[in-house]
Amino acid sequence: MLTQLVFALVTFQQHSSTYKKTKRFFYHLLEDSESRLKSRFDKAMIMSVLYSVFLLIDEVDTPASNFEKIFEHLLIALFILEYLLRAWLYNDAHHIILTHHAKSLYLNRPMQWGKVAKIIIAKKIEYMLTPLAIIDLLAILPSFRSLTLFRALLIFRLFKLFRYFKSLRLFAEIIEAKRFELYTLAVFLGFLIFIGTVGIYLFEHAANGQQVRNLFDAVYWSIVTVTSVGYGDIAPQTTGGRLVAIGLILTGFGVLSFLISIIVSAVNDKMNDLRENSIYAELKGYKSFVIICGFGRVGQHIAKQLEKHKQHFIIIDNNAVNAMNARRLGYLVIHDDASKNDVLINAGIKQKASAVLCTTGDDVVNVYITLTSRYLNPSIRIISRANHPQNVNKLYQAGADNVIQPFEIAALVVAQYIGKPVAFEAILGVIREEKQFIMETLAVCAGSMIDGIPIAELNFEHRKLMLIGVVSANPTHQKHKNSYALKKQQFYFNPPPFFILQPDDLLVVLGRDIGIAYYREQLKNSRPKEPKR
Amino acid sequence: MKRIAVFGYSVMSLEVIKQLNEEQYSYVFIVKNKAEALLVAEQGFDSKIIDFRNDEAIKSVGIGENIDILFCFYPTDSDNVFLTISARALDNELTIIAIVDDPESAEKLLAAGANKIIDPYEICGRKTYDMLAKPDITDVLDHTVFGRHDLHIAQIEIPKNSSLAQTKTGTLLLAGSYNLILIGVVDKVSGDTLHFVMDEKEHTLSSGDVLVVLGPASDIKAFKEEIEAVTSI
Repeated sequence: MLTQLVFALVTFQQHSSTYKKTKRFFYHLLEDSESRLKSRFDKAMIMSVLYSVFLLIDEVDTPASNFEKIFEHLLIALFILEYLLRAWLYNDAHHIILTHHAKSLYLNRPMQWGKVAKIIIAKKIEYMLTPLAIIDLLAILPSFRSLTLFRALLIFRLFKLFRYFKSLRLFAEIIEAKRFELYTLAVFLGFLIFIGTVGIYLFEHAANGQQVRNLFDAVYWSIVTVTSVGYGDIAPQTTGGRLVAIGLILTGFGVLSFLISIIVSAVNDKMNDLRENSIYAELKGYKSFVIICGFGRVGQHIAKQLEKHKQHFIIIDNNAVNAMNARRLGYLVIHDDASKNDVLINAGIKQKASAVLCTTGDDVVNVYITLTSRYLNPSIRIISRANHPQNVNKLYQAGADNVIQPFEIAALVVAQYIGKPVAFEAILGVIREEKQFIMETLAVCAGSMIDGIPIAELNFEHRKLMLIGVVSANPTHQKHKNSYALKKQQFYFNPPPFFILQPDDLLVVLGRDIGIAYYREQLKNSRPKEPKR
Repeated sequence: MKRIAVFGYSVMSLEVIKQLNEEQYSYVFIVKNKAEALLVAEQGFDSKIIDFRNDEAIKSVGIGENIDILFCFYPTDSDNVFLTISARALDNELTIIAIVDDPESAEKLLAAGANKIIDPYEICGRKTYDMLAKPDITDVLDHTVFGRHDLHIAQIEIPKNSSLAQTKTGTLLLAGSYNLILIGVVDKVSGDTLHFVMDEKEHTLSSGDVLVVLGPASDIKAFKEEIEAVTSI
């Protein structure tokens, strides 16, 4: 009967979408470092923990008010709930049962419930023994009045903040990474304290019994001395005791220096991670941004343009000098290899990144980054630089939307420039929006005031705008001459007055920025409103 | 036909030669040594081996005589500066276009007498940004104006005694009559500034003004021929 009940429960957990959704929700709330929900929860918890600690300190002198008591109870209930939820999220117990059940069926033997229960319990204990779970538990225990002994452990509630501050967690990771060095140091320090304790006790207890009354006084004195604190409440009177003090002070310096060097080197090692954490946090705040892979000459110019037009971007470069240059200019930089999946994923290629620009001076690297980017995000825009003409097709094959060849473009500019410098500079100025005159596209939306009307009725002259042409994939326009093939559409240059505009056509318009913006707004307002769903 | 001297073997110089219209321009390709000459020959171009440090040698190419445009395409900025200074001393009217490796050298090249500085990396950076910010416009211009199709931007000077003199830009109506779009006018009196016609419909043309038009090459040619032929007495 019990077995059937367990199986029913396990099957429910395995197949129920509500159960899965609930678990996923709590995962996003408590564990998913990328989730906004967790970010908000962490902030709320930080405030609650700090307030509760403040209340606990306040309670030392003044009795708690009813509100404070209720708050404390609610907070403890929240802590307990959080602790249990984290234990639940730690692993899927039903998977263990199902795996063992499948094994038993395959081997044609009865289910070993005892063994399964042991594995499940071992897993949960494994969670309970993790440092953060211990801190969680220690933050809860002191609140039980029956456990007054644990009141001193209230300080662990502050340690709970480790859960909610990324930087604090990173510091814990630093300590964890240097555990071997710190363990060695701790053993050596313990040894020193032991020698100091025994030495001072032997020399001073007999001659200076008023100060070194027992072994605890000796331990206390040794620790105070070896850490160079030296309160002076206990001072050795005998020559032997003073020699022990000299030895302890000198070795204490060495130990402290060693400790500091360990921490500094560990922090230095993790500095890149710390910096990257802050970059990722900043990127999360943007609506969209561009990923520039490579901060060479081309990358620098792109960054300058994006910065000028107040667009967000992140630079990824493996070269330390390039990364430093970008950092010096105040740009967001990840000093890493942009062809690695995790680097691009962390940079947000699957989330808010709108385009990837592969601008390194090495075509092999550009092909690899392009391929990686396309694999990670099939719909993202990729523009790649080809340094040699023979690699253009390879970049397109790798998934680039556009390929740019610096020398080909520069040569094109030179060829266009000679003979018509004024015209060329003018058109470049228009494209780059260096003047008040700009060239823009305006879309013909279905039902808008220009849908289905001939060009003659646009009245552009009155609006001080100039129609250069129409971009369209609509087959009804094919009868018109002056048509130039684009990638998937046709560009109809200087369309005749009887050219009827169709939905999704794009008008290529030249005019003052304010004139175009005003007309765009009029077009937008003339569109029929979409019915609310 | 204009004559161009291209100094320096590089990807850039080969690309520029490929882009030049053979009907409008003839060129002489200058290299430093036999190895470069062989590489240029492999690409199907003729070249001359000349030491650009020697004024007599660059004169022998035609600078100061029949060369209209000089391309300084050496990979080293100092070489380009030296060539620019030498060429400018020989010909004050020469159009000198130089590439720059280090952006800081741009001002030095201008001071040496270059008319136009080309920074390939800057152009590439800007182009990438244009593609990103205005993909539709960049696509249209790349496929049309910038050489892939027969749609060009041109500047047409109004000849002396032209019938267009004293005509108001608003009455030109080039779009209907010549299949050209008039972008703007460079008024010879006020220098090289382009005045866009959308703003200045009432500008009265005079000989020497330059019309900046956009349109198919054949229509540009036809319009040029017409205004050159029809002149007022």
